[in-house]
Parts: sequence; structure tokens; C-alpha cells
Amino acid sequence: MSTTATGTELSAESSAWADAGEELPPGLGPYQLAWRRLKRNKVALVFGALFLLVVILCLLAPVYSHDIAHTGPNDEHVDTALNQFGLPIGPTWHAKFFLGADNTGRDVAVRLLYGGRNSLQIGAEATLITIVLATLLGILAGYFRGPLDGLISRVFELIWAYPVILLGIALGVVLAISGLDLGFTRLSGNSLQIPAIIIGVIYIPYVGKPVRGQVLGLREREFIDAARQQGLGHMRIMFSEILPNVASTIIVFIPLIMANAILTEAGLSFLGAGVRPPNPSWGTMIGEGIGLLPAAVHTMLVPGIMLVLCVLGINVFGDGVRDALDPRAKIRIEH
Amino acid sequence: MRKYKRPLWAVVAVAMAFAVAACGSSGSSSTSSSSAGASSSTTSGGSSGGKTGGTASVVEGTFPQSLDPSIDFTTQGGEVHWLTHLGVLSFAHASGNAGTQIIPAIATALPTTSNGGKTYTFTVRSGLKYSDGTPVKASDFKFSVERALKLGWSAASFLTSTVQGAADYAKGKAQTVSGIIADDASGKVTVHLVTPYGAFEDVLACGGCVPFMPASTPMKPEPNNPPVGFGPYVIKNIQPNVGFDLDINPNYASQAIPGIPAGKMNITVKVESNTTTEASDVINNSADVFDWGDTIPPAEIQQVSKLTDRFRAVQSNKTFYWFLNVNEKPFNNTLAREAVATAVDRPALARLGSGALVPGCYLLPPAMVGHPTQTCPYGDPNSPPNVAKAKQLVQQSGMAGQPVTVWAENRQPRLQWAENYAATLNAIGFKATLKTIADAEYFSTIETLKNHPQTGFADWQQDFPNPTDFYQNLVDGNAILPVGNSNYEEANDPHIQSELKALYPVPATQVDSVASRWQALDYYTAQKAYVVPYGYLSSPEFLSSRIDFSKVVFSPLEGNDFSSLQLK
Repeated sequence: MSTTATGTELSAESSAWADAGEELPPGLGPYQLAWRRLKRNKVALVFGALFLLVVILCLLAPVYSHDIAHTGPNDEHVDTALNQFGLPIGPTWHAKFFLGADNTGRDVAVRLLYGGRNSLQIGAEATLITIVLATLLGILAGYFRGPLDGLISRVFELIWAYPVILLGIALGVVLAISGLDLGFTRLSGNSLQIPAIIIGVIYIPYVGKPVRGQVLGLREREFIDAARQQGLGHMRIMFSEILPNVASTIIVFIPLIMANAILTEAGLSFLGAGVRPPNPSWGTMIGEGIGLLPAAVHTMLVPGIMLVLCVLGINVFGDGVRDALDPRAKIRIEH
Repeated sequence: MRKYKRPLWAVVAVAMAFAVAACGSSGSSSTSSSSAGASSSTTSGGSSGGKTGGTASVVEGTFPQSLDPSIDFTTQGGEVHWLTHLGVLSFAHASGNAGTQIIPAIATALPTTSNGGKTYTFTVRSGLKYSDGTPVKASDFKFSVERALKLGWSAASFLTSTVQGAADYAKGKAQTVSGIIADDASGKVTVHLVTPYGAFEDVLACGGCVPFMPASTPMKPEPNNPPVGFGPYVIKNIQPNVGFDLDINPNYASQAIPGIPAGKMNITVKVESNTTTEASDVINNSADVFDWGDTIPPAEIQQVSKLTDRFRAVQSNKTFYWFLNVNEKPFNNTLAREAVATAVDRPALARLGSGALVPGCYLLPPAMVGHPTQTCPYGDPNSPPNVAKAKQLVQQSGMAGQPVTVWAENRQPRLQWAENYAATLNAIGFKATLKTIADAEYFSTIETLKNHPQTGFADWQQDFPNPTDFYQNLVDGNAILPVGNSNYEEANDPHIQSELKALYPVPATQVDSVASRWQALDYYTAQKAYVVPYGYLSSPEFLSSRIDFSKVVFSPLEGNDFSSLQLK
């Protein structure tokens, strides 16, 4: 099946549209309809723009570092940025040390932007890992049922049963020492991909279980029977017939997982099990800043505010996307 | 060495504490309180003068490795066990240099030596009784040594490398330590050493190193129900990784050892892993004693340093250094090591240490016999480094661009020091990355030889005032071990080995006579740059305003002497 909606899905879309109290415009696909709805949700768009702004600022970190602040994220200025007791200077509102210095005399603004890059990179990679693996496993479990479903569901429950942060800490500490051998490549202990993989893996059940549930329903539908009758193979049915029908659910999960991944990364880094020093991330910056309270509040406050803005932006925008794709859905990530 | 230990996970610690507290024992009649302000009323007098009574609250950055002295070898454990489990000898309960004097404890006098320094003989005081009333016997010494060896005491090498038969006993090849002969009737104990070992009296004196305990003590670890001991205090109310109490031993005052006073206040020890909170507690008088092994964080040091009637920075014999593994590239190259020694920014490291680090370049700290008086071989430690020269040395070595992994703990200020060090290595031409390990796991990780750490953080706090303590563990080629290796740089220099062979037998009381030889050796070590020391600890002696600061003894070996605490 192509991405064009079947009669069943169209009727579902029509129903959703009717629920929203709107007239169904002729000749529009489900994603075009969703885009129309999203455009009308100004709050979601504003927060989406806020998130986009954060991303752009973080991507411009090298420019700010090189051309404005003239210092790198790990460049220490112990003599000029720390007093005799090791206490860092506060915001200067000048190009250099615009937001002050941290506990080793590094420019907080520069580290904030580089830290954002790292946090966003980990969030994006973790989301990709979660979505790809959860979708694959969810579809396999729901489509084949039986022993394979039993095995995959038990693995989901095993991961789900363990508190996210504790599981992340346990994996983070072990992999920080030994690194991670993936067969085709080896990741060193301080690679950014390690926290990304850890977070990506621990969120798989949060997407995989809903996908599996949806596939269990879809596999009994007439269009799947029709596909079987036409002699299509399992792979073709799963990825050409079923996958497009769970795509909207998966899309809704992307911003939610992204926001949670960024928060989890911050939590793990704060606890010393995420991004490894001296690489910055918002979580490590908050962790380093805690030790300087109350004398140097900026070291904790600045990355904290950035983290809040970023996650708030994704979450509100994600809610808008969810409402646009399926106004009746109530998808939430619950720990 | 007294390693400063910190728990791996606060969460796990709290969970364990709750679990144990839920099913643990109680029944103590301790008058201690978790709040400093909840002390009982005071009375004047006491066996050693001054006010007695009340409870002092001590905050420690971490729990001792174990409250069983046959296992523990940490600063937090040492300051407890030198009050609860006396040994043959002790260090004097005095501040400054006077605190390094060895005095008899359970022995009637200092041991006599014979057989060219290979035999030590002492007599146990008669009539002493442990805190539970059990008589102290000469054979308890032999039992204590055997128990420490059997349970894997962290500093067992002090015994296995010196006492005849100790190594065989530790390996299970012998039923008893043949080199110790004890006679309960006369109280006489004779210890035969493998070779003359001048620091043996220091080992017998260091807090909790070879404590006396009854031979009926179970031959298994007892961290939550420590063996009975003889001393001014007894350990009570243990909540693992949370805290414990030190109650005055009511039976001690009547049999007090000269120079080892009875306690004046009961003590409550609680763990506070956040140094900012730890310092705040003492500033606000919600705790009475700050952990001398911690550093007061930058955010509070300015405020604390103004409290001159409660705070004093005391130079202690603790050296911080970077080790450079001579068996790993690039530090198998002499010029590469010299480049590092030249480039390390000691003034910057001192500032990152919030003033608690005194810059230096020698392994032996300034107050230790043998600390060299010559200028440092690679530049003044109080001035900015010559980075240009260091870069040149790296180029000459042909090691430019070599990857270097810097191993470090992840707590402040050690992590900041390591970050600065890694930045320095990058600045002079190496490709350095940081590998941080949880505090509780750090030393056990780098002490495993197969991990081959290239370079990283290390420190050494004196166990006793003898340069042998530093060299025997840190530089001696014989200290290179598959597990528990503290010669991280894996150096086995023939010149150092021959010098150590000559210096080890010098008795502790005569170590001053060979000071110049130790100085020459330490200068040679600095020149070879197997280790790159960057400073010495200035320990915080910081108390609440409730405690009489003028009366408190700060031992150069065990820190705050809890037996000297008394209310104003």
C-alpha cells in the first residue's frame, strides 16, 4: 500500500475532522490535514519556533566561540576568570564571559552553546534509536504474535520495570570505563554516542508497546487480509501496509521522546553517568554549578534555563503535532 | 596510604542504610544526638582536664572503608580506630610536630631491637581490659596480625613484606605467623622480621594499623559490629554509609595510657557527601567538626577563612601528583615526561583547589624528612610554567600527537585539576582525553595493572612521618603488583632501588641522620619525572562556635583528635 489512505483510514480521518467541528476539505491527505490544523495552533508554533531558535543558536556555537568570545569550550582562564579562592566571575555582558565563567575559568556562554549541541545531538540520536528499534520490534511482535511476541514483550517489560535513571546510571558507569564494542566499531568511554545509545535503548518500550498494540489491531483488518490474498510476503505487509498506518503514532512520539531524552541526558550527566568531562552538556554544567552555590548562581541557573526553554519548546510543539495528527489521541510518556 | 574514599552511589548508600537500619541492632544507651544543638549539659573536670559532657557532631565526606580495623585503611577509619582500637604503640595526641612522636600504647615501653634490627621485643601492659571487660593478652597481638592478613587488610603489605611468615600465612601456606612469638604469662612479644625495616615502629603506631583485639573475635569481617577494642572510645549505633556514634569508653579512664587521654564528649559521625552542605552545617553550628580530608568549596572558603576563632589551614603531609606510566607511550620517553613536568601549571591548580593546595614539585611533602631544599628541576612551582619549552621537548621527543588518556576521579576539585592537566597536555602537543571514574572505584581501577593507566591523578597521605611510607608504596619497583598496585607509574629504577635498599633499614628514630640521602633521592625522582607532584594539602581545621577551638588537638597524622573536643 502506498501512503495514500485507504477507505477505512479516510473514514477515521473524516470522523476526527468532524470531532474537531470542522468541515472536511476535499482532496486533502491526512498529513495535509494535520499541517492545516498545526498552522492554526499558534501556541504550538511559537514554542516550535523557540525550540528552533535554541537549535540554531547551538549550531552557531563555533561561530560565537571563534568570532565573538574568542575562546573555546574547554579553554581555561584560571588567572583571569577565577579569584584567589577559585570562585568564578559572574556575567560581564561583554563578548568574552558574557554569562560569566565556570569553576575552571571557562566561558559559560560558549559552553552553554556547545553543551546544547551535545545535548541536542544525544537527544536526536537517542530518539532515532528509540523510534527505529521500537517500531521494528513493535511491528514484529504485533504482526507475528506467538513466541516472538512473548519474547519481545517480556524484554519490553524488563526494561520498563527498571527505573530509567538507575538503569541509565548503571549502564553509563560500566560503559564509561570499558567503552562499547559494537562489532563494526568501538566507542570509547567518553564518546557522545554512549549516552545516546543508553537513552535510546531504555526508551524503546515506551514506543514499542503502543506500536505493538496498534499493530495487533491492524493485522486483523480487511486490507491486511486483502494483501495476504494478493500473495504479499510478511515483510511487504509489515512495512508497506502496516507501517504507514502506525506512522502518525510514531510521529507523535518523536517530540515526546526527544524531550525526555534531553532531560534524561541532563539527569545522567548531572549524576556523572552521561556526557564525560570536559565535554559540556547542560546536565554536566548544572552539576558543576551546584558546588558553587550560592556564590556563583549563574553557573547553575544559565544551563538550567536553557534546558527548560528547550524541553518546553519541544513538549508544547509536540502536543500541537499530536493534536494535529489525531485530535482524540492522549499519548503521553509515563515513567 | 590513607585513601580518601567516597561512596559510589549516594542512592545505593541510602538504600543500604535503610535496609540495615530496618533490621539492624539497637539497644545502645548512647546519649548521642544527630543534632549538635541537642547535647546534654556539661560538667567540669574529668581525668584529663577541661569540660566534659555533651555530644559533638562530626560531618565526614564519606564513610570509612570499614569500621572493622582489620580491613580499613582510610583517613576516615584511621581517625576513629586510633581512639577505639589502640595498638602496641601510638602517635602522641598533640598538634604539630609533637604529634609525630611515637609513644607506647598497649606496650609498656617502645620496643627494643636486636639481631641487627631484625627482632623487635616489647611487653604488654598488665591488667588492661577491653571495653567489654575481657583481659588484654600478649597473644592478642599475634591474633590481630593474623586476622588482618586473613581478612585482607588494605595495607597488609606492611606486614607481609616485613614479618617472618606473614606472607606465607596470608597465602594460606602456613597455619600461623611464625615470626611472632607471644607469651601471655610474661606479656612479652617478640617479632622477627625478614630484613631490617626501620619504619616498623611507625607501622605499629599508625592509627588502626595493628590494633589489639581479643582472640575470641570472629575471623570474618565485622563492619557493622566491630571487634571489641581498647581505647578512649567505643563504636556504637552503626548505620552503614550514613553514620555512627563514638561513645566514651567508661572503662578507659581508670586504666588510661599516659599521653592518650580519655574522651570528653560523645561523638556522632554523619556522612555528608556534598562539601558545600558539609561546610554550611559547620558554619551554622548544626555540625561541630568539618572533615579534615575534604576541602572547603570556593563558594564558602571566603566566609570560612574570616572565622579565625574557628578555622585554621594546617599544612599536612599529603602530596598530590600526576603519575606517568613509563611502560606506555608517550611516557616511556624521558623527554616527554620532562615536558609534562615543565608544563604543569601549579599556580592554576592551586587556585582551582580554592587555596587548599600549596604548589610544590617533590614527592616528599615539605614537613617530611627528606624533602629537598634545592630549587625544582623544571621551574618554580609558584610561577606560570614554561609552556614553550615544554612544547619544544615534546617535539624533540618525537611523541607529538600521541594520544594520552588522563584518568581522574569525578569529584571536585580533583576533576577540575584533571581537566586543567588534560588541557595542558593538549597545549604542549599531545592528544589528551579525560577518563573519569566514580570516586569509590577510582583507585581500585588504576591499581589493577592490566588497565595500564597512562597518566592520571594520584595522592598520598602519610601513614607515618617517615619517607619510607611514600617510597615503599609509590616508587619502589617491588610495589608493582597485578592487583593493588600503587606504583602507578610502574617505575623500577635501579638507582632508586639501590638507595631504598640502604635507606629502609634505618630505624624511625634515626631517620633524620639520613635526611640528606632522602633529599638526594627525592630530587632524583623529580628529575626523572616518573611522577609529577604539583602540590601539598593544606587541611581545614574547622569547628563550630560551640567547641573550644583553643583546646582542640589537630594531629598531623589523624586530623581532628575527637578525644580533645570539648564545649566552650
